[in-house]
Amino acid sequence: MVLRYIDGPEVRITANDKIFVDIEFFHTGEKYTCLEVKRMFPISGGDRYLALIDEDGNEQAMIRSLDTLDKESRNVVKNCLKEYYMIPRILKFTKMTEKFNIWMWYAETDKGNVVFEIRNHITAVKVLYDNRVLIKDANDNRYEIPDYTKLDRKSRKLILPKL
Amino acid sequence: MFENKHIDTSIENKAKELLNSEILFAVVGDLTNEGRYGESAVFFTENKMCAYDKTFDGLYKVYDYSDIEEAKVKRLYGNAIFRVKLKTGRYENVIRFSYAAADIADAAANFIEDVNSYGYDEEYFLAVKSTYDKMRSFCPKCGRKLAHPGAPCINCEGKKKMFSKLMVYVKPEMKGLIVCLVLSALTTLMSLVPPYITQRLVDVIIPGKDKSGLLHVIIFLLGLYIVQHVITGVRAFMLRTTGDKIIANLKKDIFAKAQYLPMRFYDKTSTGSVINRINSDTTNLQNFVMKISQEAIVQFFTMIGIIGIMMYMNWKMALLSLIPVPIVAIIARYFGKLIKPKYMRLWRRNSAISTMLADNIPGVRVIKAFSNEKRVINKFSNYIDEWYREDRAAGVYASIFPTAITFLVTCGSVIIWYFGGSRAIDGNSDITAGLLVSFITYATMFYNPVNFFANLSDTYQNTLTSAEKILDIIDAEPEHDFGKFKNNNDALMGKIEFKNVNFSFDRSKKTLTNINLSIEPGDIVGIVGTTGSGKSTLINLLMRYYDDYDGEILVDGKNIKDIDLEYYRSQIGFVQQEPLMFKDTVFNNIAYGCSDVHVEEVLHAAQVANAHGFISKMPDAYDTMLGERGIGLSGGEKQRVSIARAVLKNPGILIFDEATAAVDSETEHQIQGAIERLITGRTTLMIAHRLSTLRKANKIVVVDKGEIIECGPPEELMAKKGKYYKLVQIQSMSEQLLMQKADENFE
Repeated sequence: MVLRYIDGPEVRITANDKIFVDIEFFHTGEKYTCLEVKRMFPISGGDRYLALIDEDGNEQAMIRSLDTLDKESRNVVKNCLKEYYMIPRILKFTKMTEKFNIWMWYAETDKGNVVFEIRNHITAVKVLYDNRVLIKDANDNRYEIPDYTKLDRKSRKLILPKL
Repeated sequence: MFENKHIDTSIENKAKELLNSEILFAVVGDLTNEGRYGESAVFFTENKMCAYDKTFDGLYKVYDYSDIEEAKVKRLYGNAIFRVKLKTGRYENVIRFSYAAADIADAAANFIEDVNSYGYDEEYFLAVKSTYDKMRSFCPKCGRKLAHPGAPCINCEGKKKMFSKLMVYVKPEMKGLIVCLVLSALTTLMSLVPPYITQRLVDVIIPGKDKSGLLHVIIFLLGLYIVQHVITGVRAFMLRTTGDKIIANLKKDIFAKAQYLPMRFYDKTSTGSVINRINSDTTNLQNFVMKISQEAIVQFFTMIGIIGIMMYMNWKMALLSLIPVPIVAIIARYFGKLIKPKYMRLWRRNSAISTMLADNIPGVRVIKAFSNEKRVINKFSNYIDEWYREDRAAGVYASIFPTAITFLVTCGSVIIWYFGGSRAIDGNSDITAGLLVSFITYATMFYNPVNFFANLSDTYQNTLTSAEKILDIIDAEPEHDFGKFKNNNDALMGKIEFKNVNFSFDRSKKTLTNINLSIEPGDIVGIVGTTGSGKSTLINLLMRYYDDYDGEILVDGKNIKDIDLEYYRSQIGFVQQEPLMFKDTVFNNIAYGCSDVHVEEVLHAAQVANAHGFISKMPDAYDTMLGERGIGLSGGEKQRVSIARAVLKNPGILIFDEATAAVDSETEHQIQGAIERLITGRTTLMIAHRLSTLRKANKIVVVDKGEIIECGPPEELMAKKGKYYKLVQIQSMSEQLLMQKADENFE
């Protein structure tokens, strides 16, 4: 099967729901409704290669880059992605406590304050390129530190031994 | 009312008022519908539900189940939405939550669907309750997952400190260690004598020109040194063997524990990291145990002895020489705090290197096949560079610290030289030249233990990191049903039932949904479906590689969690797509897992598996030594050896997971023949992509997206013209095309 790439303003994308979009291809007149927008590279690629998947799990098209879409379609997709991907950005660590090898990390994020559980920081914490840190808690929720070197001194002191 | 998390009573009361009936359970979320952290909840009764979210107009929304066409949990990335489709066709997002509440929300969605389909029944409520119970299968004290609800927590029961846990390995070798300690004490005592004699030598014998006294002293010193060094040699040997025994037992235990750890552990922990723990971490620990159990004690008593002698000789000078000690202690404490994070980071770098080695050295064939040597070398170099950077960072502190200590020690000696020397020059009667020389010698000796204890902090921090990693394995929850129901020796009949089984590897994606399946003894069941549909997961659950699923799996009417795991697995023959061979003889590879097996049984098994033919043609036949992972055998040959293993086991249940997927048609034919001989009269589950291999099956199960969509005899499913029919049509068409192509090429 050949991937159907969307390269420019050849489509109109409209919002169906918070997390679903409808799409119309101008050249062929094809219309698809209730498509889920999924990042193919949620960690490394950001807004490039976004798959549009129907309710049966079939991929209908792939947006090469969000930048190539017209402004309205782009905003619709952006809003969907914002709803779909919940990766709170950690702004600050206030406390880390440990009891019997189970850690509770208290953090301030861009989505509010949160306390999450880390069972094994060796597997839960991953340092990516450019000092980005990805954290996966005991419930498989994700968190991100965009640049750990830019955290405040106390937060850095708390997180550095885990990196 | 059950709830997964505490919710404000005022919210609960308001919901109760709006629902106007008894609340059965609640799903409490941790996100608002806008995706920010905050409280949300849905309260469920027998026929209605009430949702609370502070972003709602009026805060609450009540839904009648009869207005709902579909309820489901939509998993997004890092969060999920409890979503309903109303009979008007409109979708509504009820509440939003992180994955922490996803399982219970799934159960709630199933509850609504069941109530809507069949009317309220307590059974549906109990299904939700069992999910709650599973969620509560955590130790209330430490939060660690328990073997089953109400089980004692291995983490909290008799919780000991980290090192006292590891002392279990030291205790059996206590006798040897005590002997070493006594020998150490003797040598230490002996080492305290010469400086004392020096004083007499300098102050009395040499000024008195007493040659015979000198000879006596020399003979005494020589004798003392001979005895001291002989004892030191014996002690070193004993200490080494005792240490080796301790570490050998620890390594054995970690390896044994690693065998019983559940698959979940290996899903999350790299094998390289486990290897690192068994090899280098135990060695770190050995060094530390030796230091603590021997040197620390000896050095401590040396220190006390020297202080005593110095006090006896001249208490004022003794106190002066102790001045740097508190400074050393403070620096040691500060150093410990500073270096620990560095060692943690260093451990991670070491572990990354081990993981890369464990991945790449066995995969050297693939690396060569893809000419990827340079990239692998570069990647490894980067890992080494990172390790070097961390080690250098730790090295800065680790080097500065001992130097600082040595400097302080030297300062101590300088103080004594100054103070004692001045008094000796002044002709003070209590300080002679001999006493000063002797005192300086003791002071230097005194700082050895001080230095030792100061540097112990460095070793201690390094060991602490290693000990944590070792205990991570030792303390991990093992597969817990080994050794239960030992008396059960009956072979399994082979009746298998899956009842409302739901499972996910992690909370981000549901792998199996509401699996209900009944297999009678002797049934030959073909499990078909597209890649990733959940076929192998079904088998993984039946094999008990994963135990944390919802619902029940029964074998011969017994919940498989209530059967002794060792016995249970011994009753199942599992032939996998890529059979794993060990670096051993062909004979031992067939007899793998069977002790006291007769040679002829192995020959028979090989014969049944169509393996005897090719084995007997090899020069060393059954004594042929296989390389790592079975190097020396082709894919089809390895597969037949693995079938021979299953034959030898004589199991009640047989499982074939794509057993013929990776072999050519002729080999497939031979393997198929072996399989057909083996499965007669046994319950058999066969996962197959090539549907032609399922011709003996009397039942077909079609799995799609984690659900069983069709189940029944093949003829019935063909007549139904559903998914199975389509799969058969597609395969026969492609087979026809292949045959046509082959004919064309032949012509």
